Amino acid sequence: MSFVPRALIAEVTHRCPLRCVYCSNPLEMRSRSDELSTAEWQRVFGEAAALGVLQLHLTGGEPLARPDTEQLVKAGRAAGLYVNLITSGIGLAEARLEALVAAGLDHVQLSFQDAEQEQADEIAGTRAHRTKLDLAERIRKHRVAFTMNLVVHRGNLGRLPQMIALAEELEVDKLEIANVQYYGWAFENRGRLLPTREQVRETIAIVDAARERLKGRMRIDCVLPDYYARYPKACMGGWGQGLMLIDPAGVVLPCHAARVIPGLTFDDVRSKPLRWIWEESSSFQRFRGDQWMQEPCRSCERKTRDFGGCRCQAMMYTGDPDATDPVCSLSPQRGLIDAVIAQEPVAPQWVYRINPSNTPTTVTEPRATTEPRA
Amino acid sequence: MKDQITEPAPTRIPRLAAGCRMSQSADLGPVLLLPESMLRLTGPGPRIVELCDGARTLGDVIASLQSEFSAADPEMIQREVLSFLASLNERRALDFV
Repeated sequence: MSFVPRALIAEVTHRCPLRCVYCSNPLEMRSRSDELSTAEWQRVFGEAAALGVLQLHLTGGEPLARPDTEQLVKAGRAAGLYVNLITSGIGLAEARLEALVAAGLDHVQLSFQDAEQEQADEIAGTRAHRTKLDLAERIRKHRVAFTMNLVVHRGNLGRLPQMIALAEELEVDKLEIANVQYYGWAFENRGRLLPTREQVRETIAIVDAARERLKGRMRIDCVLPDYYARYPKACMGGWGQGLMLIDPAGVVLPCHAARVIPGLTFDDVRSKPLRWIWEESSSFQRFRGDQWMQEPCRSCERKTRDFGGCRCQAMMYTGDPDATDPVCSLSPQRGLIDAVIAQEPVAPQWVYRINPSNTPTTVTEPRATTEPRA
Repeated sequence: MKDQITEPAPTRIPRLAAGCRMSQSADLGPVLLLPESMLRLTGPGPRIVELCDGARTLGDVIASLQSEFSAADPEMIQREVLSFLASLNERRALDFV
């Protein structure tokens, strides 16, 4: 069976002016000196397009922390890709925004942390909310698709109606209401981020009503926490089946969190062709098909829909990357997730994301679980 | 403009919305690329989208297709074009100049 990648998530840097407590970057980040050059990314975009990739997501860290983001947009378009910029918006002056649009940028996704300045800035670990509001008004004046990414969690779901109203006011094309996914920095902070079951129920009702009211004006996507789901998510649309992520140093991963799985070797675009990595490398082959599956997945009729769920979540909770995703109600280890839900919300200090140092890093075997740090 | 296409006047001028454009995939054929998704276009789909160029009116688009597909029932063509464009509009892939 052959798989064709359709989207490339390019984490062009791990540097970021924000310190969000739910950042999906790994705990150990790439330094600036490890980053791929403009020319290297340009070559990689061409290799990706030749493989069948249609969409390029430029993300980070903050992709604008690189001085060559305009050139990366241009390179993506030249390769025939649809170019999406996922940004905090910090440092996006008008001249630069104009240059990005002129370079062929198709879509901007601007993240918001809350509808209220104080709470938003607490999550981001810096004063960013006002800057984002100003920028949103400027983006709307350009001919580019505009999505507002709203990361939701226990602390801000009470203000969901105000956040939807803000999206309306800013006239965005699409609102993405995404519950935090508990990987990376968010896993460290999950005790304070995981919403209650009641909050999840309310979210569904609020989003349904808003969708109906805003039909044809604004699309609303909503991601609920899989901890409350009956069945797991089809993580990344299946391991190595349609998506790939390239980290700032050119290492190609099947998903953001794949490094938590021990024993995998990830290849990089500096030493191997992208096609070889996608088609042949052991890391991309590892969870394709169903040969690796255990019961209850292996004989489950849902295995072609959810592929056994998330391999990283299986690893983080059960210590076994081949296990059924523990969020699945059919998993013998579902109790591990129920125990997390049942815990009273703990309120330790936030663990803020740190920025990579400026010296080359050695990425060591990451911890699957960690104790909260002050 | 952000309005629905339920009963658009034939003088309105449809076009692809910002951030939506046609592309050609080696293995999928014509695709309409949208923010974080794509639509495979089949049959007359690519031609309809091509005609929604921000210059032709909706009436022109329908008349062009009726003459290009003269063997088909013109009323059926009109219904199908309107329903196709309504589905694009609902996905925020199509708006009016």
